[in-house]
Amino acid sequence: MKKQILPTLAASAIAAVSLFASTGHAANGDTLKAVQDRGSLLCSGHNGSFPPFVQVTDDNKWSGYDIDYCRALSVAVFGSDESLKIVPISWAQRFPSLQSGDIDVVIKATGWTMGRDTELGIQFSVPYFVGATNVMMPKELGSTAPETLDGGSLCANAGTSTERLAANFFKSRGIEIEMITFEKSEETREAYFAGRCDSLVGWGPNLAVTRQSAENPDDHAMMDVALALEPESAAMRQGDDNWVDIVNWMFAATWIAESHGINSSNVDEHKANPADSTVEKLLGVTPGIGERLGLSDDWAYNVIKQVGNSAEIFDRNIGAGSVYGLDRGLNALWSDGGVIVPMILD
Amino acid sequence: MSETAYPAPPQTPFATSVRKSLFSSPLDCLVTVVCAVLLCLLLYHLVDWAFLSSIWTEEDEPLCKEASGACWSVIDARHRIIFFGLFPFEEHWRSTVACIVMIATIVASCVPWFWSGLKLSVLWITGFAIFYLLMHGGLFGLSVITPERWGGLALTIFIFAAVSLIGMPLSIVLALGRRSRLPVIARLVGLFIDFFRSLPLLTILFTAAVITPFLLPGWLQGDKLYRVIVGFAIFFAAYQAENIRAGLQAIPAGQDEAGKTLGLNYMQRVTRIQLPQAFRNSLPAIVNQFVITFKETSIVTIVGFFEILASGSAAFGTGKWTHHYIEVYVFIGLIYFIFVFSLSRYGAYLEKKLRVGHG
Repeated sequence: MKKQILPTLAASAIAAVSLFASTGHAANGDTLKAVQDRGSLLCSGHNGSFPPFVQVTDDNKWSGYDIDYCRALSVAVFGSDESLKIVPISWAQRFPSLQSGDIDVVIKATGWTMGRDTELGIQFSVPYFVGATNVMMPKELGSTAPETLDGGSLCANAGTSTERLAANFFKSRGIEIEMITFEKSEETREAYFAGRCDSLVGWGPNLAVTRQSAENPDDHAMMDVALALEPESAAMRQGDDNWVDIVNWMFAATWIAESHGINSSNVDEHKANPADSTVEKLLGVTPGIGERLGLSDDWAYNVIKQVGNSAEIFDRNIGAGSVYGLDRGLNALWSDGGVIVPMILD
Repeated sequence: MSETAYPAPPQTPFATSVRKSLFSSPLDCLVTVVCAVLLCLLLYHLVDWAFLSSIWTEEDEPLCKEASGACWSVIDARHRIIFFGLFPFEEHWRSTVACIVMIATIVASCVPWFWSGLKLSVLWITGFAIFYLLMHGGLFGLSVITPERWGGLALTIFIFAAVSLIGMPLSIVLALGRRSRLPVIARLVGLFIDFFRSLPLLTILFTAAVITPFLLPGWLQGDKLYRVIVGFAIFFAAYQAENIRAGLQAIPAGQDEAGKTLGLNYMQRVTRIQLPQAFRNSLPAIVNQFVITFKETSIVTIVGFFEILASGSAAFGTGKWTHHYIEVYVFIGLIYFIFVFSLSRYGAYLEKKLRVGHG
């Protein structure tokens, strides 16, 4: 029920919003000015937690992959993440809240869809994360190829797009698999661990969290082919190109830093001895990166120094440095076999 | 009513009544025994899960995977998130004291000694002032903590108290307004009440949180928290007004007329004759509405507040603890139970007390 009510509510809220379209629509440069005047950046949190993107630490602080990018944005604008305010919002609320100005940007595992892009009056950044729908299976099966599951069974959440995706995926490859579905994701998870099915389908990061809760996480592995990919992007109010540029280049700065081997611990050395003109620009040795966005020239340096490059952010929250230990996979830079392509800094 | 002394009904000894009602035929015996065994079994498993085979401390967390019982380590490690939400760690004492002050205010206003308009207003204004000062800070060297960082139990109690405080007087006004002899007022108030009663609470909260910023000028908006509380209070008042009105309807019209003949003005008739009896008549329904409201505070999580249930989901929503959501929900259930049970026991006490001298 809830699942149907909330999108309806959100849709009607958006409809109400569109009656007052002038307020939901930002003009070029508005957001940065509003953020600077206010002295704080309002970024999306969650009403609860959505590990590993948004969660709460033992000492009541926000943490997570998306939260780190909120921090990076705050550092880019203000030079410090002290000015960041995370506003807890629910899934249904994120777009209306963005429109009403309750928040300046949504960085919250949000997929880039055409409906959101066109009808909701929202503008997306370049994708900063790709979420793969994948299948988890016990390592003892011997192989992680899809064919291993021929004649086996798959646990899935009933009536979800993942269930249909998985059915189509295995059917198109001529693999016989029995689908066992459950209403609640907790049930699905328990069923897999209880051995009622040979494998479990889900969204990659969620699967990683599930795997972490296994008695012995190392006993389980991901299938080596993903079923589908969803590009996750930051969402902003339509019409403020300057703000979109800032968010895009904030992501790009962490990627460019990674591709040049610059991280939070060696950024000062690189600033002292820049290897090439890109690094000079990135770290603000030669001017340009700041002025064109309306920021200071050392904003990217601050981001890398205080938050880190994309590899560090991934590692700390999702990868080997976290409890989840998820492989970077497609979220690596293109040069490491991933799909992330940094834009060119000229 | 006259005080006729009726003979007390004959008392049946406990043993006899047990035998009569539970073991009067072989089938009864069988059903009783089977039910008792099942109940004991259930109880044993519950006690075993919760106490005997459970793990208690954060340090013992590695043992949780083998243990068959509850893993209370999650509560040990993350109870601060459940109680305080996102409130800054170093300032938790402020949230604790604020919580205690608010509970003390609620308890004090339940004591008959405080039942006068003046005392109650002083009590509540002081209570809220202290609560706000502690939570928000900004004076006496306390750092400022804005409402988006409030959370957990303190937020739940604050929302409940604020909704009751705004909603209760409003509901009395609405109830009296609906019975007004001026048709315009009666109709308008009736329309108001029915309008808000026919909307789901979720819609009202969503409108208050998300849509009002588009309709109101900036200076009138206030923080999202206060908009949501006002919306919630109106919803509460619409229901409570009908409860009170039911109590008012039950008073014979002759009493009001007698009051008029004695020369009492409207205010006197309302405060001395109508309202005291209306409250007594509809007390169960009024307490019921409070209980429902306390439980419904959890709906504010939908508009992004970190009340206790959302805090709970944040408590188990991290790599190490995702598996232990049952323990967290049981713990939160217990907290709700303590509050709601006290509330309904208080209602029962009030009923008993008010019946004194009522025949």
